[in-house]
Amino acid sequence: MTALAGFTALYRRRLSVSLSQPAALAGQVLTPVLWVLVVGPALTRAFGGFAHQVNYASYVSLGQIVFILPFSAMFAGLTTMFDRDWGIMRELLVAPIRRAVIPLASTAVVLTVAAGQFAIIIGLALARGAHFATTPGRLLIALAAAALLSAGVYGLAEFLVYSIKKPQAFGTLIPAIGATPYVLCGAIYPIAVLPVGVKWLTWVLPWTHTVSLLRYGLMGDAASGLHQIWPPGLSPAIAALLSLAVVAAFAAITQTAAHRAFLKSTVK
Amino acid sequence: MMQVTTSPPLLVDGLTKTYPGGVRAVRGISFEVAEGEIFGLLGPNGAGKTTTLGVLTTLVRPSGGRAMVAGLDVTREPLAARRAMGVVFQDSVLDNDFSGLANMRLHARLWRVPEDRIAGLLDAVGLTARASDGVRTYSGGMKRRLEIARALLGRPRILLLDEPTLGLDPIVRSELWAMIRTLQATRGVTVLVSTHYLEEAQSVCDRVAIIDQGEIIALDRPAKLIDDLGQHVLEVGAGADPERLLGVLRQAPPGLREPMSTGSTISVPSWLPAPELTELASQLDLAGAGATTISIRPATLNDVFLYLTSAARANAEGAA
Repeated sequence: MTALAGFTALYRRRLSVSLSQPAALAGQVLTPVLWVLVVGPALTRAFGGFAHQVNYASYVSLGQIVFILPFSAMFAGLTTMFDRDWGIMRELLVAPIRRAVIPLASTAVVLTVAAGQFAIIIGLALARGAHFATTPGRLLIALAAAALLSAGVYGLAEFLVYSIKKPQAFGTLIPAIGATPYVLCGAIYPIAVLPVGVKWLTWVLPWTHTVSLLRYGLMGDAASGLHQIWPPGLSPAIAALLSLAVVAAFAAITQTAAHRAFLKSTVK
Repeated sequence: MMQVTTSPPLLVDGLTKTYPGGVRAVRGISFEVAEGEIFGLLGPNGAGKTTTLGVLTTLVRPSGGRAMVAGLDVTREPLAARRAMGVVFQDSVLDNDFSGLANMRLHARLWRVPEDRIAGLLDAVGLTARASDGVRTYSGGMKRRLEIARALLGRPRILLLDEPTLGLDPIVRSELWAMIRTLQATRGVTVLVSTHYLEEAQSVCDRVAIIDQGEIIALDRPAKLIDDLGQHVLEVGAGADPERLLGVLRQAPPGLREPMSTGSTISVPSWLPAPELTELASQLDLAGAGATTISIRPATLNDVFLYLTSAARANAEGAA
């Protein structure tokens, strides 16, 4: 009960912090919105998509999700850093709550914000002519993948916040981690077109698995790109579960590392 | 439950802390704070005050000894110990983007106490009219008052204040101490305060511990510590050659203690009453030894502090 009360108080506080920065939220949404509303449809008109099998507007809108969610999660690390260096962290550390609740509440807020961003992207894409086809099971896989990627990247951000110490150093990592994998993971073009060495790199990126799972869940087997990651003989369902396991492992590793780094930094 | 009500609000016993790298910040200190007492922890920078408060607030893990808050061992029962204390940190620890009221509400939720206590505390610290304003617009003194009100929200048995008046102007410092005194009296809370504003500690604290290089070198009522040092201080402005003056003062007749040199001033505590000390000073050829000014004034806790810490350093250097 104490842990739940503490979690709720911290969740409400952190959510208020996130929502009190509308400019930051709008800035993070702007680029993917541009892609969904302008660039994606323009490319579709110019080139007709690829292989004429896939609706590019749908394809690229799901690709934007693996840009905005990780970028926001990295950005949330700045709030944690601010709380630690200039804000309220020490007040939280002397509160009669289990300290492990503090990063958990922050992760929950990151997931809440991610859910809102996910809904915005999908809503705008539908309004702009994208088509999605799903089933409850596939939708669940897509949502789980998005949530795990957000939690994983936030875990990485928090681990870096408590390991790096300097805000400037962390600031340079936000675009590096938040945006670079997006370019490589197949968000805007299939990874099949990449050189072999780079393709191997993309296979280990949780971003690649997540965007494939989003397309598997909301566009079907053909658009998923899972066959470009896993052996061609594997069934799409098995491939999806394997990719989900990769993203889950990423989230588990980074969250565990973040938790340890946090606890280590709180007691000298 | 019985243990909580009968044990002292705060007990530190043989506490040690050695940081990774071998820095021994606290070297076996012991003290006890009685119910309703205002207890001062005084010491120069790096003396070990903040580390001691860090152990008590469960932010620093002790290397040895024990620290008990309201009868609760801070390492074994940290949650319950934290519930029994209110903490005001040296620098501001507030949500600057939110109002004073929002900061109080967060504390109430974390400590799971009724929010209807907030209004009374904001009134007690004079912040009712500004409660809805963003903390970012508060002055340093207002922020500090808000933090004190917040620390009292959970009705703690002990209030820990780490340099609460640091960086505030003298008027605000004076007001803040008066407020702490009033709150302590009306709410019956025990207060442990670390400060290096010694004149403030002298007027506010019931007892003080002087800590230097991780050890307590004196612990008593401020008046008793001053009595032990000597009621008066002969203060001599030194010219270009303070060593000559120090030589004269060291060879003076009984009644003068070991002279202390701080900058261009030499202070000599004395047990003698002011008239006899004046007579003694007039017999010494201080002007001939280069004194630029000579005065006699009542001793203060500042003199006790300087005397004890300089003596401790001299002993440490001698031992080395």
